[in-house]
Amino acid sequence: MSKKLVSLFLAVLMVFSIASSLAEASAVTVTDMHDREITLAEPATRIVVMQPSDCEILCAIGCEDTIVGRGQYVDYPTSVLEVPVVQSGAETNVEEILALNPQVVLMNDMAQSEEQVKQLEENGVKVVVSSATDIEGVYYAIRMIGKLMGKEENAEAVIADMQATFDEIKANSKNEGKTVYFEVSPLQWGLWTAGKGTFMDELAEICGLTNAFADLNDWASISEEQVLARDPDFIVTITMYYGEGPTPVEEIMSREGWGDLKAVKNGDILNAESNAISRPGPRLKDAAIELYNFINNIKAEEVPAA
Amino acid sequence: MHDSRQLKRERFTPLTYLFLTVALLFTMILCICVGSVSISFSDTITAVWNAIRGVPASGSITGNIILNVRLPRVLCVTLAGAALSLCGAAMQGLLRNPLADGSTMGVSSGAALGAVIAMAAGFTLPGFSYGGIMVTAMAFAFGSLILILSLAYSLDHSLSTNSIILIGVIFTMFISSIISLIITFASDHTRSLSFWTLGSFSGVNYDQAKLLFIALVICGGILIRFSSELNAFAIGEDNARHIGVNVKQVKLIVLITVSVLIGICVSISGTISFVGLVMPHIARMLVGPNHKRLLPASLFSGAIFLLLADLTARTILSPIELSIGVVTSLVGAVAFVIIFYRTRKRR
Amino acid sequence: MTAILHGNQITVRYGSHTVVDNLSFHLKEGQWLMLAGPNGAGKSTLIEAIAQGVPYTGNIQWEGLDLCSLKPAQLAQKIGVLSQKNNVGYAYTVEEVVGLGRYAYRSGFFSSADDHGRSLVESALEITGLTGLRHASMLTLSGGETQRVFLAQVLAQNPQVLVLDEPANHLDLNYQQQIFSLIREWLKEPGRAVLSVVHDLSLARKYGTHAILMDHGKSISQGIISDVMTPDNLQQVYGMNVYEWMREMLSQWQR
Repeated sequence: MSKKLVSLFLAVLMVFSIASSLAEASAVTVTDMHDREITLAEPATRIVVMQPSDCEILCAIGCEDTIVGRGQYVDYPTSVLEVPVVQSGAETNVEEILALNPQVVLMNDMAQSEEQVKQLEENGVKVVVSSATDIEGVYYAIRMIGKLMGKEENAEAVIADMQATFDEIKANSKNEGKTVYFEVSPLQWGLWTAGKGTFMDELAEICGLTNAFADLNDWASISEEQVLARDPDFIVTITMYYGEGPTPVEEIMSREGWGDLKAVKNGDILNAESNAISRPGPRLKDAAIELYNFINNIKAEEVPAA
Repeated sequence: MHDSRQLKRERFTPLTYLFLTVALLFTMILCICVGSVSISFSDTITAVWNAIRGVPASGSITGNIILNVRLPRVLCVTLAGAALSLCGAAMQGLLRNPLADGSTMGVSSGAALGAVIAMAAGFTLPGFSYGGIMVTAMAFAFGSLILILSLAYSLDHSLSTNSIILIGVIFTMFISSIISLIITFASDHTRSLSFWTLGSFSGVNYDQAKLLFIALVICGGILIRFSSELNAFAIGEDNARHIGVNVKQVKLIVLITVSVLIGICVSISGTISFVGLVMPHIARMLVGPNHKRLLPASLFSGAIFLLLADLTARTILSPIELSIGVVTSLVGAVAFVIIFYRTRKRR
Repeated sequence: MTAILHGNQITVRYGSHTVVDNLSFHLKEGQWLMLAGPNGAGKSTLIEAIAQGVPYTGNIQWEGLDLCSLKPAQLAQKIGVLSQKNNVGYAYTVEEVVGLGRYAYRSGFFSSADDHGRSLVESALEITGLTGLRHASMLTLSGGETQRVFLAQVLAQNPQVLVLDEPANHLDLNYQQQIFSLIREWLKEPGRAVLSVVHDLSLARKYGTHAILMDHGKSISQGIISDVMTPDNLQQVYGMNVYEWMREMLSQWQR
């Protein structure tokens, strides 16, 4: 055999092996939050995102341009409103999603059915489940999505930023036994609060506050008299204001019998940005800052001018 | 000669009323004293006494709870329970149908639909912000009643018990879907679906109690005034006409009055099932079917039942508060089966 | 003697179907007018028209006064109707149901029965033999007892004219006898008259003084009962030799 042929053969072999190792290097494997392993040949470039929180994560790590489809409630940042909407939740329309030709669909495990997931996968679309219920879970989701998009560094940066904020707030907050009552649904729609195991509860802890309803889990419907009896130091409501009538804060202050609560007398009522405080995404840190400022602005006012 | 089938009801009546009044007062006091938050009896008395004297309750947590949360709530529940039961009794008499009441005849859900539409459309009356909702609720309540009766009549001229109830129930399901749909689009203006379908007295105030009181006095007065006529309907509409009852007029007045009262109740507290269905039967067992006694007795039995149901709803899973409709449905359904079984057995 | 009740060219239509066709009649004091005829002749409908229960053309006059100008209570004081469908769904006492007959005489909400009314109720209960059952629940009564209660009710109503729609239908023989003799007694009082639909022609002939023979909504013959129930009239309406049939029935009892 001629030497030329052998060297050509070796060269081709070398090219192939380099190419394949390069391909391996760019291959992506993530374990999603349902313990499913998903592998992509390379980081995703066309993704349909169902949950608002995951979209915020994607944008925070700089992948907004990879989003080809969004769920009905995905609305932040506002630039993402340009992206076509797909039905989410129980009305998920598989055909609609497939029409957008995505490589990956990022969804939550709550409403979609197994059949829908199977249908998507059978058509070559990878389904990645993201379902964080606490801050640690949010970090996991960010890392997972970062890996999926090949933006691990950006993901770590976002996490570090969040962590740093929480740590700083924690350091500056002592638990002085003050209580906070989270109102997630106002009196006229049935009084609901956020108990243990919610993001609001976690943020309260970070800010050195005790949840007035720590004996309840998740979101619960409560009796008005309970709020009056527990007399929280702070009230945080996430009711949205649409410009008509009294603001949520004014409405709480005008309730019969609530006028004697500490929080109402001192004006310690916050109308928090509801999406930031309840979505498992990077804006939790903004919510934490809002909460911290709210608590401490009051404190600052109480400091007598020396 | 002493026939064993004699009914000795007549002698019990004054005693029965005394018993009912005492029972009602006792229940009201119980509901003021007991709640999600434990308040000692002496504190409760102090708060109520202060309220009567006109001393504001400011500064006292317990005073606030008693005065601004429990007292108005107990008043509204009492009045609404009385009203719903009275309407149920009147409908059962007018239509000769022991299964008739606001919820089985679709009146309550019609009222709820009216209220939801008025809320979504922002419909108000000048000077009376809640008025638009109530008026629409009343109108829709009446419209539903007429619609169901007409439908039932066209299907089954004898207006048998079963066909009316069937239509009423299907109508209620249909209306619930529409309400759900409207709420999806206008959820910031309307209350939640569970409020409309299961009811709630959370957050009621003295103004609403006043409104209910006036409505109950007027409408209740009208219905009680027609006691003899309602008795006459027991022998059938044609026979009632033969003995001289102006059937068309009486029917119209009674149905309108019932719609108004139910419309107001539903606007304030949503749909509450079973009160108007079961409590008239209990009243009937106590004082007999003569509306001169039945209607007043229904007022008492309805109020007591709803008070106990509301008490259960707000204390059984404290601090979580259940919807009152959950309690009335559970208890009411069981009570209904028992009553039905017993009346069958007696015959 | 002028007619108490005078019906003039009464026509009742259900859609395109004419149930009562241009029928005129009069009812005088002391008469027991039998409405006879085969099924579908329009007898019950005519009764309903008199009771103002169905719309009709023509007019019905009470001693010169048009019936449709009367309020229900006023009409009830003049005409008492005992219909076929009589039942009560709730446990009212016999006394309460009979007492309902006094409804038309109420003078306001708070008026309870006056002495005259009370005595009428008492005598109605007595006449129908219900005094012992006065506190019994309607739900515990037999068919015959129930019918007696409603008869007592209409007697307590104290009308001038009694209108009966097959009062003995589906009921025992002894009850039939009781009820018809009761009414005959009642009729003896001056100023009263009876109009009834009776299926049994023998009963009609025994108790009736006058008759209207109806067929397909029309009045075939009116007048004194023996003049109306002639073999030819009956042959025309029933399509058979009624006299022969009756004699055959009677012969069953000759042995």
